[in-house]
Amino acid sequence: MTRLSDKDDGEGLSAADYDAFCRFLRERTGLSFTEAKRYFVDRRVAERMAAVGAPDFRHYLNLLRFQASGEELQLLVNRMTVNETYFFREMYQLDCLVNAALDEVVRGRELGSRVRIWSVGCATGEEPYSIAITLLERWSRVDDFEIELHASDIDSHVLARAREGIYEERSLQALPRHLIAKYFTRLDDQRWQIMEELRESIDFSLVNIADPQQMAAFRGMDVIFCRNLLIYFDDLGRREAASMFYDALSPCGFVCLGHSESMSRMSSLFVPRRFPDAILYQKPQS
Amino acid sequence: MALVKARKMATAAPAGTADGGDWLTRLDDADPAQRRRAAHALGAHPPDGRPGAVPALSARLAREEEPSVREALLTALVRAGTGEAAAALVPYLASEDVGLRNGVIESLQQMPAAVVMPEVAPLLEAGDSDLRIFAAQLVGKLPHPDRLALLAGVIGRDPHVNVCLAAVEALMDGGDPAALPVVERLAARFPDDPFVAFSVDAARRLFSGA
Repeated sequence: MTRLSDKDDGEGLSAADYDAFCRFLRERTGLSFTEAKRYFVDRRVAERMAAVGAPDFRHYLNLLRFQASGEELQLLVNRMTVNETYFFREMYQLDCLVNAALDEVVRGRELGSRVRIWSVGCATGEEPYSIAITLLERWSRVDDFEIELHASDIDSHVLARAREGIYEERSLQALPRHLIAKYFTRLDDQRWQIMEELRESIDFSLVNIADPQQMAAFRGMDVIFCRNLLIYFDDLGRREAASMFYDALSPCGFVCLGHSESMSRMSSLFVPRRFPDAILYQKPQS
Repeated sequence: MALVKARKMATAAPAGTADGGDWLTRLDDADPAQRRRAAHALGAHPPDGRPGAVPALSARLAREEEPSVREALLTALVRAGTGEAAAALVPYLASEDVGLRNGVIESLQQMPAAVVMPEVAPLLEAGDSDLRIFAAQLVGKLPHPDRLALLAGVIGRDPHVNVCLAAVEALMDGGDPAALPVVERLAARFPDDPFVAFSVDAARRLFSGA
């Protein structure tokens, strides 16, 4: 039988093991869990330990630390992340993108040049596809530029679903019917698939934003969407993520955070910009 | 359609390719992006694995004027999280540069209280009252068992009323009702100061839930 801890009661990790596990996870992924999340963490660790047949937590932690393929860490991360979202969530930021921010980004640029937008923590793809639809429907200069859409997540399972682009009614609830008809194919009573042209236009990739080497592949971005992701990081993790976004952005590029998040509480690197639709955070010119 | 498939970007040289000595040299590179990368690299490894990293990061901080590099240097020192890193930051609390000073205060707050407190607590007796105010503010933010006793000591002995008021504010932010008798002592020390009376009254209301 799998034992989660050396404690007699067998209920969850011991305090020392929980602390060791959280420190390890934070170091490797940036995800930060406090004591308040103990039940959530215990359940998922126990589930994975049972799946791999780990006799106790120490063996399991060693597997996470030293497995050459990193497969078990990836599987655990897939279970530790929350991926609930839907199309056109926090629409005011997409309004801001097409009503003001992008016009500012392309000011002075040659026609036909590239505009790069990155959805960080894209989960099952609703956000990058929402960005794509909003650009195509509402940005008047969409045909003047070549727009690259990048999307990334640390969870390999949700990325596979994002590439597949199949959604149920709940994900589409905020989408007007005419946009569903235009961009989706109905598969059956419950499911719709987003059109292939959109699926093919987005570059989905597995990225751990706590890893500087992986983040170094992203440069010259004009807008980064990172909404409701950094709430899972601690202060230092948020600060480091902000620093990596700074390096990934072009001068004057923007970061969009979730409605409950504020860059000024994470880092002094960005200038808050108040647009009519939303507050974005801008990398200074120099 | 204006959406185009993203080009795969060439990965920049990984942060770990240069040895420690090389990164130390790059801290003084003319290009701010290189200095930022060097700070990230030096902060990304345990400080004992990069001999000289903490003193180099701290020394660069003294002359760095580019805000983004300054932020990277501070973040690297926070990541080091050692007593040596905390000690390297503390002298900048006396800086005339408000941006640097605020960055240092914020950084010390994000480091482990156990390594920061031994470096900050002595500043509660510094000659400069501004420094004592910053120290009181910082001590108030640190989750450390000596926090209440240290701030109580300030309220009991510091001759400067503004330092005492900073300690009161720090205790009120902590929200521990055990702080109320300590705060009330201040009224006896400065009976004619209306702002002290106001602060003590505010503390009574806070801790009594009125």
